[in-house]
Amino acid sequence: MSLQGWVPDIGPYLTLEEVIEHAFDYRGNVTVVRRDGTEMVGYLFNRDAQGPEPFVQLFDEAGNGPIRVRYAEIATVRFTGKDTAEGNSWKAWIERKEREKAQPVPAPGA
Amino acid sequence: MSVPVSQMWTVATYVLRQRLARRPRYPLVLMLEPLFRCNLACAGCGKIQYPAQILRKHLSVEKCLQAVEECGAPMVSIPGGEPLMYPDIDRLVAELVKRKKYVYLCTNAILLKEKLDLFTPSKYLSFSVHMDGLREEHDEAVCRDGVYDEAVPAIQEALARGFRVTTNTTLFDGASPLRVREFFDEMMRLGVEGMMVSPGYSYSKAPDQEHFLRRSRTNQLFSEILSKPKRHWRFNQSPLFLRFLMGKQDYECTPWGNPTYNMFGWQRPCYLLQDGYAETFKELMETTPWENYGRKSGNEKCQDCMVHCGFEPTAVNHTFNSARGFAETVMVTLTGKL
Repeated sequence: MSLQGWVPDIGPYLTLEEVIEHAFDYRGNVTVVRRDGTEMVGYLFNRDAQGPEPFVQLFDEAGNGPIRVRYAEIATVRFTGKDTAEGNSWKAWIERKEREKAQPVPAPGA
Repeated sequence: MSVPVSQMWTVATYVLRQRLARRPRYPLVLMLEPLFRCNLACAGCGKIQYPAQILRKHLSVEKCLQAVEECGAPMVSIPGGEPLMYPDIDRLVAELVKRKKYVYLCTNAILLKEKLDLFTPSKYLSFSVHMDGLREEHDEAVCRDGVYDEAVPAIQEALARGFRVTTNTTLFDGASPLRVREFFDEMMRLGVEGMMVSPGYSYSKAPDQEHFLRRSRTNQLFSEILSKPKRHWRFNQSPLFLRFLMGKQDYECTPWGNPTYNMFGWQRPCYLLQDGYAETFKELMETTPWENYGRKSGNEKCQDCMVHCGFEPTAVNHTFNSARGFAETVMVTLTGKL
């Protein structure tokens, strides 16, 4: 199931760290919402939760980067971009091929 | 086996130098991904599933060369994406050849004929053409009809012009051993220098999770394919790795053996898993918790993996780090029996 469109509700049952892990695995752009209310849209390609100052790294929508944002600055992450992996499975390709094969061949001159 | 003697010598002396320097971990092949853009969208490949701004980007030649110097591996594999779509691929390859790196330019060959003029034949350059089987299987694997029929004439043209050409094949669950054997015959008939095979791996970012091979099935499949290898088959990879695929060797993964560099940095821990990125090669080697990877670690992502990028370095180290491994390699090479 795709996380596209997910607006996580960070609280006692869902931590920021968990949301960032999901964002790191997500194959689309996300919106990082900072605690000061500003937002940044981009592809979150890296995170370091173990270091002394945990951070994420992104390329923004224009491809600029890498841009580093500290966990401490982040209020939440929204899954706003298209999930680029969704619908591109091999299964989908085989199903498409099967559908094409099942199409009746038009009669000559039809 | 078909690895040229000069290349084998380079690798052997490199491994021995690492041993003499008492380096516990060292790279053998740099996986250099200058871009993720591709002219195919294979379901088995998670490399191309990125937003548009990432697919538009690529590394500069200078960044690539810096990574090559940092890493120091004697061989550089250029996967991607499709490297022939990289605008500076000719300059990058020329610089690598100048540095006497053995380059495997991994391509689907769709653009190969058109781009051949950009390159000069060299013992350091090999086009490693992605071929996942005969026409039907290959076109199915790459999710587009007609690709096999584009690749074959491109291979023939490259060979006719004096280039080294190898093939790389990923086998998925459901592969027919008989058809794979026919495919090997066909590639040999085309005249490629050697073939590389590897099982697919179910990594979490690949969109197709169902058709990757589990470990026991991998052993069974490769035993059926390789148990009676034909004399004319040539493989451009360690025979001990092939024995490992057949279940005749038990190896642990060497995830640092084929380190990966791309626009995100140095990928932890290996070519397939993406657990994060380091800014420098030194940081990758020194700060990656290697004990968390490989089958013995218990990491569930590693349990079914038998992919060449982790186990071929182990096989190569086995060959050059032990008399037994060396003897086994020589024996297999001389007899042709795996």
